[in-house]
Amino acid sequence: MTPQGRILGIGPTDNTSDQRTPRQRLRLIPEQARSSFVPVVPARFITRSHEWDMTRTAPDRPRAAGVPIEVTGTVRTQSGRPLANALLEIWSANHYGRYRHVEDHSGLKLDENHLGLGRVLTDEDGRYKFWAISPGAYLARPDIGRWRPKHIHMSISGGSSRLITQMYFPDEPNNAADPMAILMGGAFERNIGKPRDVAGADVDEAFDFDIVMGGRNATFFE
Amino acid sequence: MSDAASNLLAPTNEDTCGPYFPIYFADPALEDLTRVDPGLVGQAAGTPIILRGRVLDRHGELANGAILEFWQANAKGLYRTPETEGHPDIDPWFHGYGRLRSASGAYEFKTILPGATDGRAPHITITIFSDGISRIVTQMFFSDHAGNDADPVLQSVGDDAPKLIARHDGRTASGAEVYVFDIIMAGAGETPFFDDLES
Repeated sequence: MTPQGRILGIGPTDNTSDQRTPRQRLRLIPEQARSSFVPVVPARFITRSHEWDMTRTAPDRPRAAGVPIEVTGTVRTQSGRPLANALLEIWSANHYGRYRHVEDHSGLKLDENHLGLGRVLTDEDGRYKFWAISPGAYLARPDIGRWRPKHIHMSISGGSSRLITQMYFPDEPNNAADPMAILMGGAFERNIGKPRDVAGADVDEAFDFDIVMGGRNATFFE
Repeated sequence: MSDAASNLLAPTNEDTCGPYFPIYFADPALEDLTRVDPGLVGQAAGTPIILRGRVLDRHGELANGAILEFWQANAKGLYRTPETEGHPDIDPWFHGYGRLRSASGAYEFKTILPGATDGRAPHITITIFSDGISRIVTQMFFSDHAGNDADPVLQSVGDDAPKLIARHDGRTASGAEVYVFDIIMAGAGETPFFDDLES
Protein backbone atom coordinates (compact mmCIF):
# COMPACT_ATOMS: atom_id res chain seq x y z
CA MET A 1 0.00 0.00 0.00
CA THR A 2 1.30 3.43 -0.88
CA PRO A 3 1.66 5.47 2.29
CA GLN A 4 -0.31 8.67 2.55
CA GLY A 5 -0.21 11.61 4.89
CA ARG A 6 -2.99 11.96 7.43
CA ILE A 7 -6.10 14.08 7.16
CA LEU A 8 -6.39 15.84 10.52
CA GLY A 9 -9.62 15.58 12.46
CA ILE A 10 -11.67 18.61 13.51
CA GLY A 11 -12.83 18.59 17.12
CA PRO A 12 -16.63 18.48 17.28
CA THR A 13 -18.18 21.57 18.93
CA ASP A 14 -14.74 23.23 18.85
CA ASN A 15 -15.00 26.46 16.83
CA THR A 16 -11.28 27.14 16.99
CA SER A 17 -10.53 23.67 15.68
CA ASP A 18 -12.86 24.37 12.75
CA GLN A 19 -11.09 27.67 12.04
CA ARG A 20 -7.54 26.35 12.31
CA THR A 21 -7.36 22.71 11.26
CA PRO A 22 -5.74 22.21 7.84
CA ARG A 23 -8.22 20.69 5.37
CA GLN A 24 -5.72 19.26 2.88
CA ARG A 25 -4.18 15.85 3.42
CA LEU A 26 -0.75 16.29 5.03
CA ARG A 27 2.10 15.89 2.55
CA LEU A 28 4.67 13.14 2.82
CA ILE A 29 8.23 14.32 3.32
CA PRO A 30 10.64 13.23 0.56
CA GLU A 31 13.18 10.81 2.02
CA GLN A 32 16.08 13.06 1.03
CA ALA A 33 14.63 15.84 3.20
CA ARG A 34 13.38 13.71 6.08
CA SER A 35 16.16 14.58 8.53
CA SER A 36 15.59 18.31 8.03
CA PHE A 37 12.17 17.87 9.66
CA VAL A 38 13.68 16.66 12.93
CA PRO A 39 14.22 19.62 15.27
CA VAL A 40 16.79 18.97 17.98
CA VAL A 41 16.02 21.11 21.00
CA PRO A 42 19.16 22.02 22.91
CA ALA A 43 19.01 21.16 26.61
CA ARG A 44 17.64 24.16 28.48
CA PHE A 45 18.22 24.00 32.21
CA ILE A 46 15.98 26.93 32.94
CA THR A 47 13.82 25.55 35.74
CA ARG A 48 13.84 27.28 39.10
CA SER A 49 14.28 25.14 42.17
CA HIS A 50 10.74 25.65 43.48
CA GLU A 51 8.88 25.26 40.21
CA TRP A 52 8.15 21.57 40.73
CA ASP A 53 5.66 22.58 43.47
CA MET A 54 2.73 24.32 41.82
CA THR A 55 0.62 24.14 44.99
CA ARG A 56 2.36 27.33 46.21
CA THR A 57 3.58 30.48 44.51
CA ALA A 58 6.85 30.22 46.47
CA PRO A 59 8.23 27.91 49.16
CA ASP A 60 7.32 30.31 52.01
CA ARG A 61 3.75 30.96 50.82
CA PRO A 62 0.55 29.14 51.83
CA ARG A 63 -1.01 26.34 49.90
CA ALA A 64 -3.49 27.31 47.21
CA ALA A 65 -7.17 26.35 47.57
CA GLY A 66 -8.23 22.92 46.43
CA VAL A 67 -6.83 19.42 46.40
CA PRO A 68 -3.03 19.13 46.24
CA ILE A 69 -1.87 16.28 44.03
CA GLU A 70 1.42 14.66 43.05
CA VAL A 71 2.06 13.59 39.45
CA THR A 72 4.96 11.31 38.60
CA GLY A 73 5.97 9.32 35.57
CA THR A 74 8.66 8.32 33.14
CA VAL A 75 9.20 9.86 29.72
CA ARG A 76 10.24 7.26 27.13
CA THR A 77 10.45 6.88 23.40
CA GLN A 78 8.30 4.22 21.76
CA SER A 79 11.26 1.85 21.80
CA GLY A 80 11.35 2.20 25.59
CA ARG A 81 14.45 4.37 25.93
CA PRO A 82 14.10 6.82 28.86
CA LEU A 83 14.44 10.45 27.86
CA ALA A 84 16.88 12.06 30.30
CA ASN A 85 17.14 15.81 30.90
CA ALA A 86 13.94 16.55 29.01
CA LEU A 87 12.17 19.79 29.89
CA LEU A 88 8.55 19.54 31.04
CA GLU A 89 6.65 22.79 30.98
CA ILE A 90 3.39 22.42 32.91
CA TRP A 91 0.39 24.70 33.19
CA SER A 92 -3.07 24.27 34.66
CA ALA A 93 -6.12 26.12 35.92
CA ASN A 94 -6.71 26.71 39.62
CA HIS A 95 -9.30 24.98 41.80
CA TYR A 96 -11.99 27.21 40.29
CA GLY A 97 -11.05 26.55 36.66
CA ARG A 98 -9.28 29.87 36.08
CA TYR A 99 -5.86 30.36 34.49
CA ARG A 100 -3.64 33.12 35.78
CA HIS A 101 -3.11 34.21 32.18
CA VAL A 102 -3.81 37.71 30.89
CA GLU A 103 -5.94 36.27 28.08
CA ASP A 104 -8.27 34.23 30.35
CA HIS A 105 -11.34 36.46 30.47
CA SER A 106 -13.66 33.86 31.99
CA GLY A 107 -14.19 35.89 35.15
CA LEU A 108 -13.79 32.77 37.29
CA LYS A 109 -12.16 33.24 40.68
CA LEU A 110 -8.43 33.81 40.94
CA ASP A 111 -6.44 32.45 43.88
CA GLU A 112 -3.67 34.61 45.30
CA ASN A 113 -1.71 31.46 46.16
CA HIS A 114 -1.86 29.87 42.73
CA LEU A 115 0.15 30.54 39.57
CA GLY A 116 -0.43 27.24 37.76
CA LEU A 117 3.04 27.27 36.17
CA GLY A 118 5.72 24.65 36.61
CA ARG A 119 8.93 23.46 34.97
CA VAL A 120 10.82 20.28 35.77
CA LEU A 121 13.53 18.23 34.12
CA THR A 122 13.50 14.46 33.83
CA ASP A 123 16.30 12.68 35.67
CA GLU A 124 18.81 10.23 34.20
CA ASP A 125 16.13 7.53 34.16
CA GLY A 126 13.58 9.75 32.43
CA ARG A 127 11.54 10.21 35.60
CA TYR A 128 9.74 13.40 36.61
CA LYS A 129 7.70 14.61 39.57
CA PHE A 130 5.61 17.68 40.28
CA TRP A 131 2.89 18.84 42.65
CA ALA A 132 -0.16 20.76 41.49
CA ILE A 133 -3.62 21.75 42.56
CA SER A 134 -6.21 19.44 41.06
CA PRO A 135 -7.58 21.81 38.40
CA GLY A 136 -11.23 22.78 38.17
CA ALA A 137 -13.32 21.95 35.12
CA TYR A 138 -14.71 24.99 33.35
CA LEU A 139 -17.54 25.83 30.99
CA ALA A 140 -15.84 26.21 27.60
CA ARG A 141 -19.00 26.72 25.52
CA PRO A 142 -21.71 28.39 27.61
CA ASP A 143 -23.95 28.54 24.53
CA ILE A 144 -24.19 24.75 24.30
CA GLY A 145 -23.28 23.87 27.89
CA ARG A 146 -20.06 22.06 27.01
CA TRP A 147 -17.42 21.84 29.74
CA ARG A 148 -13.71 21.24 29.48
CA PRO A 149 -12.89 18.36 31.82
CA LYS A 150 -10.15 18.70 34.44
CA HIS A 151 -6.78 18.60 32.71
CA ILE A 152 -3.13 19.56 33.12
CA HIS A 153 -1.19 20.83 30.12
CA MET A 154 2.31 19.49 29.52
CA SER A 155 4.91 20.41 26.94
CA ILE A 156 7.87 18.04 26.67
CA SER A 157 11.02 18.81 24.71
CA GLY A 158 14.34 17.09 24.69
CA GLY A 159 16.67 15.88 21.96
CA SER A 160 14.61 15.20 18.85
CA SER A 161 11.43 14.56 20.87
CA ARG A 162 8.67 17.13 21.00
CA LEU A 163 5.20 16.71 22.44
CA ILE A 164 2.45 18.95 23.72
CA THR A 165 -0.27 17.00 25.45
CA GLN A 166 -2.73 17.07 28.35
CA MET A 167 -3.22 14.74 31.30
CA TYR A 168 -6.86 14.06 32.10
CA PHE A 169 -8.41 12.53 35.23
CA PRO A 170 -10.26 9.21 35.51
CA ASP A 171 -14.06 8.97 35.74
CA GLU A 172 -14.66 12.66 35.09
CA PRO A 173 -18.18 13.32 33.80
CA ASN A 174 -16.97 15.76 31.13
CA ASN A 175 -14.34 13.51 29.59
CA ALA A 176 -16.67 11.84 27.09
CA ALA A 177 -17.86 15.07 25.43
CA ASP A 178 -14.45 16.72 25.13
CA PRO A 179 -13.63 17.43 21.46
CA MET A 180 -10.00 16.34 21.74
CA ALA A 181 -10.97 13.17 23.65
CA ILE A 182 -13.45 12.38 20.89
CA LEU A 183 -10.70 12.75 18.27
CA MET A 184 -8.44 10.40 20.26
CA GLY A 185 -11.16 7.75 20.47
CA GLY A 186 -10.08 4.59 22.24
CA ALA A 187 -6.55 5.96 22.65
CA PHE A 188 -7.86 8.65 25.01
CA GLU A 189 -7.24 6.37 28.01
CA ARG A 190 -3.47 6.77 27.46
CA ASN A 191 -3.87 10.42 28.40
CA ILE A 192 -5.55 9.72 31.74
CA GLY A 193 -3.46 9.77 34.92
CA LYS A 194 -3.55 6.54 36.95
CA PRO A 195 -4.44 7.04 40.64
CA ARG A 196 -2.01 5.56 43.12
CA ASP A 197 -1.30 5.73 46.85
CA VAL A 198 0.20 9.05 47.97
CA ALA A 199 2.92 7.03 49.76
CA GLY A 200 3.52 9.57 52.52
CA ALA A 201 3.81 12.63 50.28
CA ASP A 202 2.21 15.84 51.58
CA VAL A 203 -0.64 15.72 49.05
CA ASP A 204 -4.19 14.35 49.03
CA GLU A 205 -4.08 12.46 45.73
CA ALA A 206 -1.33 11.02 43.53
CA PHE A 207 -1.23 9.97 39.88
CA ASP A 208 1.18 8.13 37.63
CA PHE A 209 1.38 9.49 34.11
CA ASP A 210 3.96 7.78 31.94
CA ILE A 211 4.62 9.60 28.69
CA VAL A 212 5.64 7.91 25.45
CA MET A 213 7.07 10.16 22.74
CA GLY A 214 5.58 8.98 19.44
CA GLY A 215 6.73 9.19 15.86
CA ARG A 216 9.97 8.71 14.01
CA ASN A 217 11.46 12.04 15.08
CA ALA A 218 11.81 10.93 18.70
CA THR A 219 14.15 8.10 17.76
CA PHE A 220 15.76 9.61 14.68
CA PHE A 221 19.26 9.76 16.13
CA GLU A 222 19.15 6.49 18.10
CA MET B 1 3.57 -4.70 10.94
CA SER B 2 6.81 -6.43 11.81
CA ASP B 3 7.39 -8.09 15.17
CA ALA B 4 9.71 -5.28 16.11
CA ALA B 5 7.01 -2.72 15.41
CA SER B 6 4.49 -4.53 17.61
CA ASN B 7 6.88 -4.25 20.55
CA LEU B 8 6.76 -0.47 20.40
CA LEU B 9 5.06 1.33 23.27
CA ALA B 10 1.80 3.08 22.41
CA PRO B 11 2.47 6.82 22.09
CA THR B 12 0.87 9.43 24.31
CA ASN B 13 -1.63 11.36 22.19
CA GLU B 14 -0.72 14.82 21.03
CA ASP B 15 -3.26 17.36 22.23
CA THR B 16 -3.94 21.02 21.68
CA CYS B 17 -1.86 23.46 23.69
CA GLY B 18 -5.04 25.47 24.25
CA PRO B 19 -5.25 29.26 24.42
CA TYR B 20 -3.23 29.75 27.60
CA PHE B 21 0.32 28.64 26.87
CA PRO B 22 2.19 30.55 29.58
CA ILE B 23 3.81 33.77 28.45
CA TYR B 24 5.94 33.18 31.54
CA PHE B 25 7.80 30.47 29.60
CA ALA B 26 8.95 32.91 26.91
CA ASP B 27 12.73 32.98 26.41
CA PRO B 28 14.24 35.97 24.58
CA ALA B 29 17.28 33.89 23.70
CA LEU B 30 15.04 31.66 21.56
CA GLU B 31 13.50 34.60 19.69
CA ASP B 32 16.81 35.96 18.38
CA LEU B 33 19.27 33.32 17.22
CA THR B 34 21.83 35.83 15.95
CA ARG B 35 23.45 36.00 19.37
CA VAL B 36 23.64 34.09 22.61
CA ASP B 37 21.96 35.45 25.70
CA PRO B 38 21.90 39.24 26.16
CA GLY B 39 25.11 40.65 27.59
CA LEU B 40 27.30 37.75 26.56
CA VAL B 41 29.97 37.88 23.88
CA GLY B 42 28.97 35.52 21.10
CA GLN B 43 27.60 36.13 17.61
CA ALA B 44 26.26 33.60 15.16
CA ALA B 45 28.08 33.63 11.81
CA GLY B 46 26.12 34.56 8.72
CA THR B 47 23.66 37.12 7.36
CA PRO B 48 21.15 38.34 9.96
CA ILE B 49 17.56 38.16 8.77
CA ILE B 50 14.17 38.96 10.18
CA LEU B 51 11.40 36.56 9.28
CA ARG B 52 8.03 38.11 9.82
CA GLY B 53 4.50 37.24 8.88
CA ARG B 54 1.06 36.28 10.01
CA VAL B 55 -0.58 33.04 11.03
CA LEU B 56 -4.08 33.10 9.55
CA ASP B 57 -7.14 30.93 10.06
CA ARG B 58 -9.74 29.67 7.58
CA HIS B 59 -11.45 33.06 7.51
CA GLY B 60 -8.27 35.06 6.99
CA GLU B 61 -8.25 36.18 10.60
CA LEU B 62 -5.08 36.25 12.67
CA ALA B 63 -4.69 33.11 14.76
CA ASN B 64 -4.03 34.56 18.19
CA GLY B 65 -1.98 32.76 20.81
CA ALA B 66 0.11 30.78 18.31
CA ILE B 67 3.37 29.14 19.34
CA LEU B 68 5.94 28.98 16.54
CA GLU B 69 9.06 26.86 16.74
CA PHE B 70 11.86 27.16 14.20
CA TRP B 71 14.55 24.71 13.24
CA GLN B 72 17.32 25.48 10.77
CA ALA B 73 20.86 24.87 9.65
CA ASN B 74 23.66 27.33 10.37
CA ALA B 75 25.19 29.68 7.79
CA LYS B 76 27.25 26.82 6.38
CA GLY B 77 24.19 24.63 5.93
CA LEU B 78 24.93 22.33 8.85
CA TYR B 79 22.26 21.21 11.31
CA ARG B 80 23.41 20.87 14.89
CA THR B 81 22.37 17.32 15.82
CA PRO B 82 23.95 14.37 17.63
CA GLU B 83 25.21 13.23 14.21
CA THR B 84 27.12 16.45 13.48
CA GLU B 85 28.71 16.79 16.91
CA GLY B 86 32.37 17.72 16.47
CA HIS B 87 31.96 18.65 12.79
CA PRO B 88 34.35 21.50 11.85
CA ASP B 89 31.50 23.54 10.36
CA ILE B 90 29.55 23.66 13.64
CA ASP B 91 29.07 27.25 14.78
CA PRO B 92 29.50 27.24 18.58
CA TRP B 93 27.19 30.26 18.83
CA PHE B 94 24.33 28.79 16.83
CA HIS B 95 22.12 25.84 17.78
CA GLY B 96 19.29 26.43 15.29
CA TYR B 97 16.20 26.06 17.52
CA GLY B 98 13.91 29.02 18.10
CA ARG B 99 10.56 29.51 19.76
CA LEU B 100 8.14 32.35 20.25
CA ARG B 101 4.54 32.90 21.24
CA SER B 102 2.56 35.43 19.27
CA ALA B 103 -0.32 36.99 21.17
CA SER B 104 -1.90 38.44 18.02
CA GLY B 105 -0.94 35.86 15.39
CA ALA B 106 1.61 38.18 13.76
CA TYR B 107 5.18 37.10 14.39
CA GLU B 108 8.76 38.27 14.00
CA PHE B 109 11.77 36.01 14.40
CA LYS B 110 15.39 37.13 14.15
CA THR B 111 17.94 34.64 12.93
CA ILE B 112 20.61 34.13 10.29
CA LEU B 113 20.06 33.03 6.72
CA PRO B 114 20.59 29.27 6.69
CA GLY B 115 23.10 27.92 4.19
CA ALA B 116 22.33 25.55 1.33
CA THR B 117 23.53 22.00 1.68
CA ASP B 118 23.29 18.49 0.26
CA GLY B 119 21.04 19.33 -2.66
CA ARG B 120 18.77 21.39 -0.45
CA ALA B 121 17.94 25.05 -0.89
CA PRO B 122 18.09 27.16 2.29
CA HIS B 123 15.03 26.41 4.41
CA ILE B 124 13.58 26.65 7.92
CA THR B 125 11.22 24.08 9.42
CA ILE B 126 8.35 25.69 11.33
CA THR B 127 6.26 23.86 13.92
CA ILE B 128 2.99 25.49 14.97
CA PHE B 129 0.97 24.88 18.12
CA SER B 130 -2.22 26.74 19.02
CA ASP B 131 -5.66 26.35 20.44
CA GLY B 132 -7.85 24.09 18.31
CA ILE B 133 -5.03 22.05 16.77
CA SER B 134 -2.30 19.70 17.76
CA ARG B 135 1.22 20.18 16.35
CA ILE B 136 1.42 21.01 12.63
CA VAL B 137 4.64 21.31 10.62
CA THR B 138 5.78 23.06 7.46
CA GLN B 139 9.02 24.17 5.85
CA MET B 140 9.71 27.57 4.29
CA PHE B 141 12.18 28.77 1.65
CA PHE B 142 13.59 32.10 0.46
CA SER B 143 12.58 33.90 -2.73
CA ASP B 144 15.00 34.40 -5.60
CA HIS B 145 17.21 31.54 -4.51
CA ALA B 146 18.64 29.65 -7.45
CA GLY B 147 18.47 26.32 -5.61
CA ASN B 148 14.72 26.43 -5.02
CA ASP B 149 13.89 24.85 -8.39
CA ALA B 150 15.85 21.72 -7.55
CA ASP B 151 14.80 21.36 -3.91
CA PRO B 152 13.03 18.03 -3.29
CA VAL B 153 10.50 19.47 -0.83
CA LEU B 154 9.46 22.29 -3.15
CA GLN B 155 9.30 19.83 -6.04
CA SER B 156 7.17 17.45 -3.96
CA VAL B 157 4.39 20.00 -3.47
CA GLY B 158 4.13 20.88 -7.18
CA ASP B 159 2.00 23.94 -7.89
CA ASP B 160 1.84 24.75 -4.16
CA ALA B 161 5.56 25.56 -4.04
CA PRO B 162 5.03 29.37 -4.05
CA LYS B 163 3.08 28.99 -0.78
CA LEU B 164 6.30 27.84 0.91
CA ILE B 165 8.53 30.65 -0.34
CA ALA B 166 9.06 33.76 1.75
CA ARG B 167 9.11 37.09 -0.06
CA HIS B 168 12.22 39.25 0.23
CA ASP B 169 10.81 42.50 1.53
CA GLY B 170 13.51 44.65 -0.05
CA ARG B 171 14.19 46.63 3.09
CA THR B 172 16.23 46.07 6.19
CA ALA B 173 15.34 46.38 9.86
CA SER B 174 17.92 46.60 12.64
CA GLY B 175 20.57 45.74 10.09
CA ALA B 176 18.81 42.57 8.99
CA GLU B 177 17.26 41.60 5.68
CA VAL B 178 13.49 41.20 6.02
CA TYR B 179 11.60 38.19 4.64
CA VAL B 180 7.82 37.87 4.82
CA PHE B 181 6.12 34.51 5.24
CA ASP B 182 2.43 34.10 6.02
CA ILE B 183 1.07 30.76 7.20
CA ILE B 184 -2.52 29.96 6.23
CA MET B 185 -3.70 27.20 8.53
CA ALA B 186 -6.82 26.20 6.62
CA GLY B 187 -8.99 26.99 3.62
CA ALA B 188 -8.26 29.07 0.52
CA GLY B 189 -4.53 29.36 -0.06
CA GLU B 190 -3.81 26.81 2.68
CA THR B 191 -0.12 26.33 3.39
CA PRO B 192 1.11 22.80 2.67
CA PHE B 193 1.77 20.96 5.94
CA PHE B 194 3.85 17.82 6.28
CA ASP B 195 3.28 14.53 8.06
CA ASP B 196 6.34 13.52 10.08
CA LEU B 197 4.49 10.57 11.63
CA GLU B 198 3.66 8.81 8.36
CA SER B 199 6.71 9.94 6.36
